[in-house]
Amino acid sequence: MLETDRNQLHKCVEEALPELDMMIGWTRCDPLQTTPVFIRDAKSISSLTLGPFCSQNLAGYLVKPPALDAPPKPDAKPIGICVKGCDSRSLVALIQEKFITRQRVRIFGIPCGGTVDWRKVARHVELGSVKSADVQDRVLVIEDSTTTHRIALEEVLSRKCLGCRHPNPVISDVLIGAEVSPRSTGMETSYRDVDELDAKPLEERLAFWQSELDRCIRCYACRNACPLCVCQDRCIVETREPRWLTQHVGVPEKFLFHFIHAMHLAGRCTGCGECERVCPMDIPVTLIKEKLNKIMEEMLGYSAGLDPEAVPPLLTFNPGETEI
Amino acid sequence: MRIGVFVCNCGTNIAGTVDTKKVAAEALGFADVVYATNYMYTCSEPGQQEIQRAIAEQGLQGVVVAACSPRMHEPTFRRAVEKAGLNRYMFEMANIREHVSWIGNDREANTSKAIDLVRMAVAKLRFNAPLFSSKMPVNKRLLVIGGGVAGIQAALDCADGGMDVVMVERQQYIGGKMAKLDKTFPTIDCSSCILGPKMVDVAQKENITLYAASEIESISGYIGNFTVEIRKKTTFVNWEACTGCGACMEKCPSKKAADYFNEGLGAARAINIPFPQAIPKKAMIDAAYCRQLNGKKCGVCAKICPVKAIDFEMKDEIVTEKVGAIIVATGYDLFDHAVYGEYGGGRYPDVISGLQYERILSASGPFGGHIRRPSDGKEPKEIVFISCVGSRDASVGRPYCSGICCMYIAKQAILTRDHLPESNSYVFYMDIRSPGKNYDEFVRRAQEEYGVQYIRGRVGKIYRRGERMVVQGADTLLGVQVEVEADLVVLATGVESSLGAGELAEKLRISYDQYGFYMESHPKLRPVETNTAGVYLAGACQGPKDIPSSVAQGSAAASKVQSLFAHDTIETNPQVALVNERNCIACGKCIQVCPFGAIQWKELRGGIKKAEVLASVCQGCGVCNATCPPKAIQLQHATDNQILAEVNELCA
Amino acid sequence: MTDSNPRSSAPAEDTAANRQGIKIVGFLCNWCSYGGADTAGVCRFKQPTDLRVVRIPCTGRMDPLFIAKSLIYGVDGVLVSGCHPRDCHYAVGNFYARRRMEAFKAFLPFMGIDTRRFKYTWVSASEGQQWQKVVTEFSEQIHMLGPNPGVELRSGEILKVSSGLK
Repeated sequence: MLETDRNQLHKCVEEALPELDMMIGWTRCDPLQTTPVFIRDAKSISSLTLGPFCSQNLAGYLVKPPALDAPPKPDAKPIGICVKGCDSRSLVALIQEKFITRQRVRIFGIPCGGTVDWRKVARHVELGSVKSADVQDRVLVIEDSTTTHRIALEEVLSRKCLGCRHPNPVISDVLIGAEVSPRSTGMETSYRDVDELDAKPLEERLAFWQSELDRCIRCYACRNACPLCVCQDRCIVETREPRWLTQHVGVPEKFLFHFIHAMHLAGRCTGCGECERVCPMDIPVTLIKEKLNKIMEEMLGYSAGLDPEAVPPLLTFNPGETEI
Repeated sequence: MRIGVFVCNCGTNIAGTVDTKKVAAEALGFADVVYATNYMYTCSEPGQQEIQRAIAEQGLQGVVVAACSPRMHEPTFRRAVEKAGLNRYMFEMANIREHVSWIGNDREANTSKAIDLVRMAVAKLRFNAPLFSSKMPVNKRLLVIGGGVAGIQAALDCADGGMDVVMVERQQYIGGKMAKLDKTFPTIDCSSCILGPKMVDVAQKENITLYAASEIESISGYIGNFTVEIRKKTTFVNWEACTGCGACMEKCPSKKAADYFNEGLGAARAINIPFPQAIPKKAMIDAAYCRQLNGKKCGVCAKICPVKAIDFEMKDEIVTEKVGAIIVATGYDLFDHAVYGEYGGGRYPDVISGLQYERILSASGPFGGHIRRPSDGKEPKEIVFISCVGSRDASVGRPYCSGICCMYIAKQAILTRDHLPESNSYVFYMDIRSPGKNYDEFVRRAQEEYGVQYIRGRVGKIYRRGERMVVQGADTLLGVQVEVEADLVVLATGVESSLGAGELAEKLRISYDQYGFYMESHPKLRPVETNTAGVYLAGACQGPKDIPSSVAQGSAAASKVQSLFAHDTIETNPQVALVNERNCIACGKCIQVCPFGAIQWKELRGGIKKAEVLASVCQGCGVCNATCPPKAIQLQHATDNQILAEVNELCA
Repeated sequence: MTDSNPRSSAPAEDTAANRQGIKIVGFLCNWCSYGGADTAGVCRFKQPTDLRVVRIPCTGRMDPLFIAKSLIYGVDGVLVSGCHPRDCHYAVGNFYARRRMEAFKAFLPFMGIDTRRFKYTWVSASEGQQWQKVVTEFSEQIHMLGPNPGVELRSGEILKVSSGLK
């Protein structure tokens, strides 16, 4: 099935490439992971892949510098991009905030049954010895030098995938493969981790974040990976004008950094989970934004990245909402 | 930075519960503070000289005064430091009076709090930067919204001063409510005799442009430079041509049109000039009653009109005017007494509003000035007036006093007696409010000379008995129930805010209270200013008012405009947002949230876009600053660094 | 901004003892609540002394991160007050603020910060009595909660908390 989808993707990209400035997709780099690939040349199309190892959200590449400073010429060709369900919401959010125009992108939408978190795989096998990996019938089959491991896909899916409500792209020009049914349809199931932490006493919540954020090394990988963290090197966690944070390495600084990241994404975060995926310290940083997403949904009935015409809720107001 | 700290004793106001000496001594320990002292009255002449001396002697670059509220004396001290050569924004105030000494008696706690506040002020000052005003030209044209007596007064005052005035009136005629009145209290002089000449002046002054039957469509801009779009409503009559001869009115076959000017007591023609002295004296077709406009064959007016002014194809027209100041004089509307079921809920033709009775009394009214009751046209014998209908009654959402009813009832009772010497008038009242000049004497004359019977008490019920109305109420002074059989009942209907007052306020960006009355900038000291610079208030739009007060406010607002227009330019407030282009990521969120449209795109070389603040439009609210993710837009004098500096002092 | 003044580093008088007790920071809009606090002062309405006021032009200027900063670094309470909805000097600043602060208020406890340490309210320039009530009640609440420990780990403390995340 994966094979068929991949062939369809290759065929569609082949047809479209002459009209495109470039194509952004994934390619295999090691048995368990993929890496982004930027294709201008038809010969490279065959390296494109899709499937459960394509965890990276590619939408960020559309807005990270230099795109930020030099607006595309009006006659610029569109950029092709592969998106999963969650990635497509990032695109919608970027279109909504006018960082990219809809015409600027040719969207290859890929329905997604969940992506593999290599950290979870490491709990089962020695990563260094893995020779090949494949998913068959929702089972991850790994060959290493000695044996064949068969791990249920559920066991190694990324955390964000477990409560996924939008596995199918919410916006696309071409749909590759068949749509899949969402794992979750309501708030109860999609915010399970948030609710679990919220159920603990306040002191335990504080202790949890103190212990988690204490590990933060302020490498800003989470910020850099976030497709909506458009400030990049102008981010206020690093500037002196204004100076919100010092270089002092303390838990308060780390808290404030994550508050800044979270508040800047309030009403904008689409829950793609990139921040958490890239965290070298294994801190569940997406969880912070999930809470804010839940607040936005409960309080204002808003989920980011679904409607290109909507205004992010903290950029507008409603005089009538006396008791929000 | 070399900072000086001046701690004010304010006599004993501060020193009574704050150890000002200790505050000054502590301040000497704060970063950059090179001089600190306490002083008896820092705001006094010698107090200010002391600051100026220290600036010179100590080479101070910034000054902190710990004293009263900055809302009180910040301008004073800013001027003082400016005179000594500092930029006025290199100054901060710590409020240790209203926020410390006056609200607590614990000397130790107060002193420690005062020290903190000074510490915060110093911390902020270290991030202050000199700011400079720029000058922008003032368009010396005035817009007056509303052509009642307050608006007319304001317009004439400014026109007399040589300014161009644009007047916009929603109705077909100017004069407002006063034009409908018969006589005015407490002098019983004829309303149209005193208002008429002023109305004529408005029409004749060359520097007044009058838009009647027009409304404000939109307002943009700021003090000195407003752009106003005015919607000229469809009149179906070309007013350039119309001479006001009235031939159309005479021949119009639609004779049962609503007579708004007579408060619904009579009937008007579908094409109408509301009253003989109307300004502008132009006809207008009421589309609801016109036969031609309702698909019937007619067009009589078009045939009869000697100047061919009738135009059935006419549409609303939008005109744009540029002005430098706006006076809002939109007046009031009358409370609708239909909500009072016990008074018949508006069903009885002989239970009428005060303004309806005014039309009955008026010689230009529906009965030519003869007092008759609406139901059968008979002369009434017994007339009951009921005060506070829609005033001082929280149950109908009108807890305030309308201020004019006690007086107009007395006037109407007196006039009734003049017209019908055989009649008897009764007034049911709660209290008599007559605090104006000659007002109380006037009410006494009604009681003593004219024999009007005043009964203190509320009326509980009005109902019909045969041809007459029975008024049941209590006389709370005698403690008895009273019943009066009356031929006519006049309700002293109260004042409420003008219809659509809220929508206009939103267009003007001025505040209004829960009743829709516009808020003045300060209830005592800035009574005709609003919190939007360049927008002033006159008359009953700000709250219930009688004619003398409305006229006084019209003149007051006009004088504010004249002092504004006495300058060719005005200084801008430099406490506005400023974009650091290096940090701007062109996300446009500031543009999206700015309540004033003060931020726009600016294109740099290579098509790179950045946000840019129009300093003259920016009002300095800081919503953009709070919104900007990289904080590239900073509200000057309330920057992130300045606020953080204050907060940091408390975090330690 | 040079610290050339020798007194700027650790002044002797500036001891911890001087800074003890409960500290509440109040962000007050210049037009309404700052005036309301002034009115309360003019009327001599007695209030607890824990509040330190920062004057801001409008609650619309209020970035919730100022509140985050204060509470993370151990300020005991944060009180934000502005014009009543519809009375904003800038027409709509407090409407923006209301949404932002309401969302932030709901978010705080998730991070382990007691949401009772933050309050926002609307007090007009004429409501001196209301201001007294707000300050008194909020100060009492903060006294009841005691000093804010902030988020700093106490020295030597090692936390072992299972995340429970799958």
